[in-house]
Amino acid sequence: MPHFFADTAWFIPCYPLVGMVLSIAWFPSMIRRTGPRPAGYVNAITTFFALIHGLLALPAVLHQPAQYLYLPWLQVAGLDLTLPVEVSALTIGAAILVTSLNLIAQIYAIGYLEMDWGWARFYALLALFEAGMCALVLSNSLFFSYMVLEILTLGTYLLIGVWFNQSLVVTGARDAFLTKRVGDLFLLMGVLAIYPLAGTWDYNELAEWAQTANLDPTLATWVGLALMAGPMGKCAQFPLHLWLDEAMEGPIPSTILRNSVVVATGAWVLVKLEPVLALSPVVMNTTMVIGALTAIGGTLIAIAQIDIKRSLSYLVSAYMGIVFIAVGSQQTEAALLIVFTHALAMATLVASSGSIILNCITQDLTQLGGLWSRRPITGLSFVVGAIGLAALPPLGSFWAMLKLADGLWQIRPWLVGLLLVINGLVAFSVTRTFGRIFAGNPQQMTERSPEPLWAIILPMAVLAGFTLHVPMILQHFNLLPAWADLNKDVALLLTWSSLFGFSIGGVIYIGNYVSKPIQLPWKPLQDLFAYDFYTPKLYRSSVVGSVDVISRITDWVDRYFVDGIVNLIGLSSIFGGETLKYSNSGQSQFYVLTIAIGVIFLAVLMSWSFLTHL
Amino acid sequence: MELQYFLILAAALFCIGIYGLVTSRNAIRVLMSIELLLNSVNLNLMAFANFLDPQGIRGQVFAVFVITIAAAEAAVGLAIVLSIYRNRDTVDMEQFNLLRW
Repeated sequence: MPHFFADTAWFIPCYPLVGMVLSIAWFPSMIRRTGPRPAGYVNAITTFFALIHGLLALPAVLHQPAQYLYLPWLQVAGLDLTLPVEVSALTIGAAILVTSLNLIAQIYAIGYLEMDWGWARFYALLALFEAGMCALVLSNSLFFSYMVLEILTLGTYLLIGVWFNQSLVVTGARDAFLTKRVGDLFLLMGVLAIYPLAGTWDYNELAEWAQTANLDPTLATWVGLALMAGPMGKCAQFPLHLWLDEAMEGPIPSTILRNSVVVATGAWVLVKLEPVLALSPVVMNTTMVIGALTAIGGTLIAIAQIDIKRSLSYLVSAYMGIVFIAVGSQQTEAALLIVFTHALAMATLVASSGSIILNCITQDLTQLGGLWSRRPITGLSFVVGAIGLAALPPLGSFWAMLKLADGLWQIRPWLVGLLLVINGLVAFSVTRTFGRIFAGNPQQMTERSPEPLWAIILPMAVLAGFTLHVPMILQHFNLLPAWADLNKDVALLLTWSSLFGFSIGGVIYIGNYVSKPIQLPWKPLQDLFAYDFYTPKLYRSSVVGSVDVISRITDWVDRYFVDGIVNLIGLSSIFGGETLKYSNSGQSQFYVLTIAIGVIFLAVLMSWSFLTHL
Repeated sequence: MELQYFLILAAALFCIGIYGLVTSRNAIRVLMSIELLLNSVNLNLMAFANFLDPQGIRGQVFAVFVITIAAAEAAVGLAIVLSIYRNRDTVDMEQFNLLRW
């Protein structure tokens, strides 16, 4: 029976698609009388089916070599676009992660969107995301990965823009679409450039080709950089990171999904492309540098935010940066582990902060406080997510970071140092967020704040439970290192860096020793981090500004030069007609004169040869 | 006496006629210029009949026809001028430019 489910694994993305199509019925313009709630229930059920399908297929693929299904899509002259579906423990596991997080987010949304009419649109888009991500993890072809990434980019645009009557939502959705689109288009260049070189888009064949490929280093560098630029935009890496900040305008349930898994779609493609990227050391170094810059910058910015959602979103960028570092140092296994542990921990954190926002209205950290005694479940979930995110044993991220640091220990020890700093900053940042929300005295906005509906508490608590169980899941799949192989120095260093971060954050933000709001000695530096290195200004002055100026110039040239030439021809015809009509003078004597001149002219012309010989 | 002189005289008369036809402001003088043109043509016909066809003198027959037609045409022309004059009280050609652009 599991084999049947494994063989039909390609069906997993189809369940949410069915749910997506069915939710159309509950659009406010379709079913007008009974409200949109069934759309949510239907989608939760289809997601549940997809999850069950994945879970039933898992035993058949566990400890087995990957199987491949081939779905023919298009064969035209010389190009064979067959969709290869990889059914392995990894892909089925990823699909289970996606569907389970989506199920949790959908149940969460039942509670969160209680007062909202836009369920059908929202759930249809969530389902589109789920289908897209399942299709992405199952398909084993760069081409189809690209297709799915583009569909997800469109989905991001629509999902961020759910509440489109808010102006910041509209600009955020615009930036998210364009920024990710730029990355995707670079990826498309890479995808198109690699086909003549490798002759295939199949990830396995690409990996085989990369092992023996004898490529011009410059060419390999350019192709690799283009392939890396796609995930760079998807994973909100510097300098394409502003969109994730502005994407926080969307509803929280979608944020759960986005922060945990959607940004990881880029990381997935990056991991799959690692053998190709490894062809050029320049690309690998660039990947590492970008990841390191994003990780350190993201954590610093996150510490300086006063918006809960934004302070978490920059941590997502930072963790994706760590994934970039992992891929850049050829540790794909560590990268996937980080994606997995980060997804659960970050989903817990976002769910918990959403639970706070729903009842306290404000997202401003400076207006929150003193909730620990009255919001115990939310607080505990936040703590679990925070510990699960920073590398503190025995929870998940510790093992993932340990694996990465262990691998880096041999080749680039300075990166381990950087990793320790980042980890400490992450711990400090989540502790700060925790302290501002839960510690201290209640403020005006948090004076009365009950725990919300079960539909919010339950998924949040389940997520926290999953986060706590990550080490056991890892142990079950033999992903934990044996005690003897453990690099105890690195493990100790990681633990200490987290402890440092947590305790310093705790002393400053939970203790009462420092007056708040905290001012750095040098105000411009604090503003620099708080305003995200002034990235919007940077975009506006560089890319947006130049494209704007060029498009204005092009518009001017088109409007006045190109159109002008065509209009000039028309105008000159009109002018010719208007002026030449005066040759019809109305004087018959003038007509006689023209006849006489014409006759003389013709006579001279016809007798020209005779006249010249005269 | 040679044919060319007659022809050149006729051509000169024709040119004078054309000049008068184009420049005259009086409609009657325009008709008179047309008569000059027709007479120059008649001179041509007579000269050709005399020098090239003294036996058949078909040119003279043509000339008789031309004189006849010219008389009829002058009569119709004067009638037209009169009818215009009745309406517009003038025979100035520059006043007859209603049918322009």
